[in-house]
Amino acid sequence: MTAAALNTQAPTGKAATPALTPAQTSAHTQAQALDGWLPERATDGQDPAWVETLRSAAAERARALGLPTRKNEGWRYTGLQALLQQGFAPVSEALEALQPEDIEDLLLPDLDAYRVVMVNGYFAPALSALDGLPNGVVLGGLHTTLTETPDLLADSLGEVAGDGAHLFSALNTATLSDGMVLLAERGVLLDKPVELLHLSVGTESPGVAQPRHLVRLGEGARGTLIERYASLGDATYCNNALIELDLGHDSVLEHRRLQLESPNAFHVSGVYLRQGTSSRYDAINIGLGGRWARTDIITRFAGEHAECDLQGLYLAGDGQLIDYHLDVRHALPHCSSRENFKGIVHGKGKAVFDGLVYVARDAQQTDAAMSNRNLLLSQNAEIDTKPQLEIYADDVKCSHGTTVGQIEPEMLFYLRSRGIAEGLARRMLCLGFAGEIIGALGIEPLAEHVSEVVGQRLEHAPL
Amino acid sequence: MLSVNGLKAKVDDKEILRGLDLQVGAGEVHAIMGPNGSGKSTLAHVLSGRDGYEVTAGSVSFDGKDLLDLEPEERACLGLFLAFQYPVELPGVNNTYFLKAALNAKRKYNGEEELDAVSFLRLMKEKLKVLHLDDSLLKRPVNYGFSGGEKKRNEIFQMALLEPKLAILDETDSGLDIDALRIVADGVNALRSPERSMLVVTHYQRLLDYIEPDYVHVLAKGRIIRSGGKELALELEEKGYGWIVDEAAA
Repeated sequence: MTAAALNTQAPTGKAATPALTPAQTSAHTQAQALDGWLPERATDGQDPAWVETLRSAAAERARALGLPTRKNEGWRYTGLQALLQQGFAPVSEALEALQPEDIEDLLLPDLDAYRVVMVNGYFAPALSALDGLPNGVVLGGLHTTLTETPDLLADSLGEVAGDGAHLFSALNTATLSDGMVLLAERGVLLDKPVELLHLSVGTESPGVAQPRHLVRLGEGARGTLIERYASLGDATYCNNALIELDLGHDSVLEHRRLQLESPNAFHVSGVYLRQGTSSRYDAINIGLGGRWARTDIITRFAGEHAECDLQGLYLAGDGQLIDYHLDVRHALPHCSSRENFKGIVHGKGKAVFDGLVYVARDAQQTDAAMSNRNLLLSQNAEIDTKPQLEIYADDVKCSHGTTVGQIEPEMLFYLRSRGIAEGLARRMLCLGFAGEIIGALGIEPLAEHVSEVVGQRLEHAPL
Repeated sequence: MLSVNGLKAKVDDKEILRGLDLQVGAGEVHAIMGPNGSGKSTLAHVLSGRDGYEVTAGSVSFDGKDLLDLEPEERACLGLFLAFQYPVELPGVNNTYFLKAALNAKRKYNGEEELDAVSFLRLMKEKLKVLHLDDSLLKRPVNYGFSGGEKKRNEIFQMALLEPKLAILDETDSGLDIDALRIVADGVNALRSPERSMLVVTHYQRLLDYIEPDYVHVLAKGRIIRSGGKELALELEEKGYGWIVDEAAA
């Protein structure tokens, strides 16, 4: 059992800001591996000046940051070697050959949703379904919006993510060109979920797609976003996606994220959230992975009485790494946050959970709870879990807990004593463990899909 | 049905069963009584195949098969059922799903067709009625958040559904008030049949007021030291275990 960094310590006093320190000199040679991800010229002269500035500043930042190394706390357990070895190059063109029937198998049966499909990082209108949107909603491609109505994006795009958490966010901003835009005006209730489906298709040489998304809900607006990552075939590729979520006063966003990609997929995604007064963000992240997946969820409260609920489930097996980094900062009073992540790691799989809740001195009456529970199903499975509370206010309610364990022999025996074979009994218990999160998804076609995949994975999992 | 011969078993190098003999015929109800630490629960666990017990001598034959050679799930599929003293909570595992998996595992093992959802629900409803159980129990995770009485009733319900040849009731009365005890006992009695044997393991005689045994055995220090009819239980109730243990030692 390798619980390499099981950390159940009380909050440490040390600063654990994931912001990067300037890279070590030694990292610079390695960093050249990602130089190709940056555009040679930061401008193409067609977008508004503020967008050009956003890109060029990010490119500069990316060059200054260099590659994170394992000396960097936020990357201690997540090596970049495998990713660098692939020699990913940017995918420069949209793949237009895909027809709706090509993606039928990847759609969730019975899901009634507006759909935005990205193919290798580019908006694919022919595969999307945008008819019948309510008034007051803009939903479509970022590139089109930037070309036609860039002013719509001016207050949010790049504002929510700011400088970003690390090199990959800077690279995404530096190359910002296409993605999804979802804007809902004040008071709009989205009658159906919006599904943002990322499809990755193998290209001649392994490519990196860097889609950039923006969701902005006006005052009192409500909506559900299902963000999925899927592949056609078992291609080798990388996604470096970034989504900015800008929630106005009293708005509510339900966000369901499912990452289920090719066994050779590399995945980096950044979720940047800004929450206005009394807004509510309710997110469930399901990480079933590819080969290597890193997700950062970074939330900021811009108003009081906001609620942020982050749940997650990850399942990592042989040859997989799944890494979730959460960074929840309470700078204002009367906000609440909850993180509840569960993980199952089997075979030689590896998972990383790093959750930081930071409560500034002025953030009185903060209510924050963090929990990370893990099941390790094999001797060779590894989980590095690191929950951190940093609290500088004195009138708060904060808690955290981490567990790393195996299937309880008592439970296993109970099932077996009823005639259920050991393998099925284990699966039932794992599904039971995962069931809390799957059950909370609230969207039946999605929950069924996840439940089925998790069940299949466990059935074929070498323990 | 069940034949235990010279059974010896250890837990953590401590010998608990020290040469136990017991014969249970079809349709018979046997009570195993004895003071704390006499090996009652160990017997129940060894018979059901729980890990952590080392059988060092003796044999157990169940319906003509060498029981000790079988995995717990095989024993269950052959018709052995243990009603747990402390039924285990399984958070996230739906009770209906669990019961269906158990029943179908057994049917499959015995070459019968697995039940589909509709026939299974029909069967469950039928069994619920017999036991006067509320079907809300079925929608919840197995035993999770159940009261002591609900857990024990869920055990008996499983027994009704799985229709074992031999049911071992391990301290089924523990933690039950008199009303709950009566309900559980009624459930057990409803399941008595000429094909079903029962082994009722209990410290107290009171359970036997409700579930009347054909035979009573006294277990002490890992051996059966006295066997008799149901009147033996009454004698124990009156005089305690001391005299009989002393007599056996003498």
